[in-house]
Amino acid sequence: MTGEEPLRLGHLYPKEMNLYGDRGNILAMVLRAQRRGIGLEVVPISMGADGADRAASCSGFFIGGGQDLDQDAVAEDLIQLKGEVLRQKVSLGAPLLAVCAGFQLLGTHYLTAAGTRIPGLGLLPLHTEASRQRLVGNLMITADPGLELQDPILIGFENHSGKTYLHEGLTPLGYVMHGQGNTGQSRQEGAWRDTVLGTYLHGPLLPKNPELCDWWLRLALGLECLPPIDDSLERSARLEAIAVAQRRDDFSRFRLLGRGLPTKRAR
Amino acid sequence: MAVGAGRLAGATSRKLRLGGGTTFPGDVARAVDPQVLGKLTSSVRGGVVLVTGTNGKTTTAALLRTLAEGQGLSVGGNPSGSNLIYGLTAAALRLADVSGKVELDWLILEVDELSAPRAVAEIRPSGLVILNAFRDQLDRSFEIDQVAQRLQEAVLGLPPGAFWVGNADDPRVASFDSGSSPRGISKILFGLNDESVGHKLLPAVVDSRSCPRCRSELEFSLVYYAHCGLYRCPHCGLRRPNPDVGADSIRMIGLDAIEMEVVGPAGWRAAISVPLGGVVNAANVAAAMAAAAAMGVDQSRAATSLGRFRPSFGRSQLASWRGASFRLMLAKNPAGLEENLTAVLTLDKSPVLAIALNDGVADGRDISWIWDVDMERLGRAPDLRVVVSGTRARELALRLGYAGVSADRITVRPLPEDALSAVSDLAQTGVPVPCLLTYTAMLAWHNLLVRSGSGAPFFQAP
Ligand SMILES: [Zn+2]
Repeated sequence: MTGEEPLRLGHLYPKEMNLYGDRGNILAMVLRAQRRGIGLEVVPISMGADGADRAASCSGFFIGGGQDLDQDAVAEDLIQLKGEVLRQKVSLGAPLLAVCAGFQLLGTHYLTAAGTRIPGLGLLPLHTEASRQRLVGNLMITADPGLELQDPILIGFENHSGKTYLHEGLTPLGYVMHGQGNTGQSRQEGAWRDTVLGTYLHGPLLPKNPELCDWWLRLALGLECLPPIDDSLERSARLEAIAVAQRRDDFSRFRLLGRGLPTKRAR
Repeated sequence: MAVGAGRLAGATSRKLRLGGGTTFPGDVARAVDPQVLGKLTSSVRGGVVLVTGTNGKTTTAALLRTLAEGQGLSVGGNPSGSNLIYGLTAAALRLADVSGKVELDWLILEVDELSAPRAVAEIRPSGLVILNAFRDQLDRSFEIDQVAQRLQEAVLGLPPGAFWVGNADDPRVASFDSGSSPRGISKILFGLNDESVGHKLLPAVVDSRSCPRCRSELEFSLVYYAHCGLYRCPHCGLRRPNPDVGADSIRMIGLDAIEMEVVGPAGWRAAISVPLGGVVNAANVAAAMAAAAAMGVDQSRAATSLGRFRPSFGRSQLASWRGASFRLMLAKNPAGLEENLTAVLTLDKSPVLAIALNDGVADGRDISWIWDVDMERLGRAPDLRVVVSGTRARELALRLGYAGVSADRITVRPLPEDALSAVSDLAQTGVPVPCLLTYTAMLAWHNLLVRSGSGAPFFQAP
């Protein structure tokens, strides 16, 4: 595959949406492509009208997490200036991976604590409601079988106060084994349809879940499968994170230390 | 009553080995009398100065105490670093006599950023020092905007006549509002005035590059550390103000010492040499000098006082074990690790580096931040060996692998004792190995070194 045009990854709002180690997601895509002899060029798509042209040249997309203030400004720019091209690209099979705040932006709207309805991109039938509760901690899920992952466990960290509700017919990315997920109650985590996938898993997501990274790469390249590569570093980091998530379910006894977290297990 | 209960609880807690007894007495005393902190601290003769900010609180508070003590003043504090409201109460209790009086000239307390508004409301301090606002332990559910908001609240809560010292190089901190003028609050800015210790590029991921006034993207002509430097807003014209107390002619002697000149508003100028390493510590010295001047401490003695300064627990502290020597450096958030890496890579000659990453509650359980740190610099240092340790050692190894550090240069040793052995095997005689550690990793390494007879214990006896 060398010698061809490099694959172009559209990184949406790299300055505004980069809160939870999202750089690691980009690194994982670049390195896992590179190790298979595939060049991957990262195209930053920032605020402003010229971003739409840049997006049109890309084979796949990523959008990460951001602070609330950044998210508002980004939402408007995303819908007004990039919505059309993204919808078109995705309908032609380009993958779009969205994490945390990026995931919330994929939905139909976001309902603030004051009751204001902020429109989203509308790529997935879901919406998010602000809440007082913060859902924080290690998060471990089993992925939807439709994704055909050989090892269906996905592992990461979540930190969100928005609760995300999937509308009729939308498939969650997976079911919660440890942690909170979309609402802390539904046991659902994330959502996916065709080539669009959103999740609260960060930490970052892709280095520790290399199969999901390859899912994105396969779609972006339009390939059925990719040659296997040495995953030993990834695998041991993954096992470590899984062990941590399984070991630490109950934090209440740490409250005495004065750094207790307002997390209550939903079930 | 509250004082007695708290003191008894402290003694009991230490006897029962429930820990260093650093916050438990505070819990008890506050349960008996919620106003106990304000009552205790109101008896301090000169007043109370609070030191806050994401990084550098412990060191700056210690520097300020050293400056005041050098003038012959009696000074107390919370050097164990218990900086939440219960820890402050416990520290005040420990310093009080049986009648509840704190017989000191000054009390210098470091305060957690999020606890700062409450500490200001209860203590009504004479002064407040705000060092910086970086990203820290995001799983405490606070984002940097909210941290900045709390710090601003703390400034607005200061009693009439108080002073606050802020960082001119940190755009958010420098822009804090002192409140409406009749309150008589004085604002003193400190900063670095030596372009030779700055660089041209912002780190890959910075916490705040947006203008605090209009949220446009700031332009930096020079960066000292993290998002601190010479900035300007192209949209609204906000720019880095000239500091009232500035550090210039800065010279780093490896990681062992900083030589600098500190220039103050009334034309005073002091040549300082302090046994600390890294650019951020030059800023911490300027901050302490600015606060000392506001407290009326004579600057002519500063050089002598600071020459005797000893670093606090885990702030470039030296220790030895099985013939190898270690330099323990706390690196608990992206700005801290970034800055320590810069210091180690530019100023140090050790061919070995150790990094330990724990994800305990006190460290912050979310370790995503290591992916935002420019570890790629380690990938470009071809002869450097790295020992990785801690509860998340394998994720750290993955991060380093992705940064281009080849597998044969990485030694993974999750347990602290194994890591210490690996480091001492690789270390060169007489060259301290820099060890960059998150908070609970620092405790673990420190305890091991103390148990083996090297280094002083860190919990101070009452
Ligand atoms: Zn501006």
